[in-house]
Amino acid sequence: MTLAGYGLRRAGVGLLQILAVATLVFAFLEALPGDAAVAAAGDDPDPARIAALRQQFGLDRPVWQRYGDWLGGLVTGDLGASLRSGRPVVSLLGTAAGPTTVLALVTLAVLVPLTVALGVCAAVRAGGWFDRAVSSTTVALHCVPEFALAVLLIAVFALWLGLLPATAVGGGLLEDPALLVLPVVVLLARSAAAPVRTLRGAMIDALASDYVAHARRHGLPRWRVLLGHALPNAAAPAVQQLARTVDWLVGGIIVVEAIFAIPGLSAVLVEAVAARDVPVVQGVTVMVAAVAVLANLTADVIAFRLAPRAGVA
Amino acid sequence: MRRAVAVTLTGIPLAVAVFGPVLAGFTNARRGPAYAFGPGYPLGTDGLGRDVLGLVLRGGLSTLALAAAATVAAYGIGTLVGLLAAGTRRRWMDETLMRPLDVLLAVPALLVLLLVAASAGRNAGIIVVVVTVVTAPAVARLVRTAALDAARHPAAEAMVLQGESWWAVHIGYVGRCIVRPLLADAGTRMTTSVYLVGAANFLGVGLPPDAADWAVLVDRNRAGLLLQPWAVLVPAALIVAFTLGVNLLADDLTRRRR
Repeated sequence: MTLAGYGLRRAGVGLLQILAVATLVFAFLEALPGDAAVAAAGDDPDPARIAALRQQFGLDRPVWQRYGDWLGGLVTGDLGASLRSGRPVVSLLGTAAGPTTVLALVTLAVLVPLTVALGVCAAVRAGGWFDRAVSSTTVALHCVPEFALAVLLIAVFALWLGLLPATAVGGGLLEDPALLVLPVVVLLARSAAAPVRTLRGAMIDALASDYVAHARRHGLPRWRVLLGHALPNAAAPAVQQLARTVDWLVGGIIVVEAIFAIPGLSAVLVEAVAARDVPVVQGVTVMVAAVAVLANLTADVIAFRLAPRAGVA
Repeated sequence: MRRAVAVTLTGIPLAVAVFGPVLAGFTNARRGPAYAFGPGYPLGTDGLGRDVLGLVLRGGLSTLALAAAATVAAYGIGTLVGLLAAGTRRRWMDETLMRPLDVLLAVPALLVLLLVAASAGRNAGIIVVVVTVVTAPAVARLVRTAALDAARHPAAEAMVLQGESWWAVHIGYVGRCIVRPLLADAGTRMTTSVYLVGAANFLGVGLPPDAADWAVLVDRNRAGLLLQPWAVLVPAALIVAFTLGVNLLADDLTRRRR
């Protein structure tokens, strides 16, 4: 299969996935008792007021019509308006997405080289002290709750040693990079574990393979055998694993932003959840699902390019 | 050495969670000033003036029990779906059982939790249901793969040739074969559940804000970290120790069996 053909087929699956998520989110909220009007009425559950709100939100129209509107809105980038502030969800998310994107990109920018360095070094001397240290650490850090790890790190590095700021209150993330250190370390602790382990395993297999032995017999320099021949083949599963961790990274960012008081999507989301502001939560869910699908898609295409055999699914 | 560390890390939080509620009866029940140290309060007081030692002793069971309940339920559902998907001879049934799980995997688990909480309100029971639903697909996948391997084994084929029933082969024999890979995976599933339950409680969508629960304690007393660190650090350290310990222990046990 060609790269373009594979990419197109994979993009089709991705679109179907996003459509399915959007449908599920809609159907799910439809099935639950109480709708947005009841939530918006809040402490004033007067039936007349609820009916008026229902009309205002257009909730009195048939289900299929609202479903069509919801999907049409997604395509045109209209996610409705917040029940609390009345602001369009898109502009609400647009402002909040900035700090979240910075945090996510900085984490990824550290995560990728860190994965390669740790995975390759551990695999080169498999069973050695470095490998054992990396393996034990990555195993142990699986699913360590960020909020607990974060407060421990804040206590040590911010309160006792006074080296780093405890929260990001009153500072821009880009102007003051010290603010980013603890949040990124906490996010890396969990998201690095699975890709490092995958890359280590794949590198060990690659280094034991015939083509690497062949490259060695040709007298290629050690670094070229490692980085030019073994790594590209071993990287395919690690890239896919890296995309899977995007899911966890998103969850982690929600928690980490809450702890370090970073004014990103988490603040919007947690506030919307507390106020049961359904359109905002819906919008964030679909947007994040789209990012997750896109990350997986990109990873699968990169993996296909790296090692065409592994990509055919 | 590593095993001793793993057992200690798992054992201490587990002992506090299980035996703590009994011992908590002997701690100070009177309310004192908020975020204070004083006689009768070995670990100080929290933001509501409650004895931190008593809260910590009482607060472990909820997190671990909710996580354990979700893990057990996810294993029940995941095993059933996985065995059916692997055992069926009809391809469409396999697809119908496994495809919806792919979609579910596209949405981050924590977001599903928040979405449900936004519509259903604060509720610990719903947290267990959601954690079950988001962890079951991984179990189903694992079961399906392991069961397909087992069903191709000569022993399974011999059973089929002898005329054993579908149930005897695909549930009885295959079911027994997949116990080992499932147990090897149980530790990581448990820490995943602890993670999700903890995050939900920390973000305020699970247990009520005055509940004696490690994750809730960390959340509610964060503001007093400078004044009274123990109300935050002790529960946080217990949660971290438990997850680290279970991960290491699970890894140790799988390796030994190989």
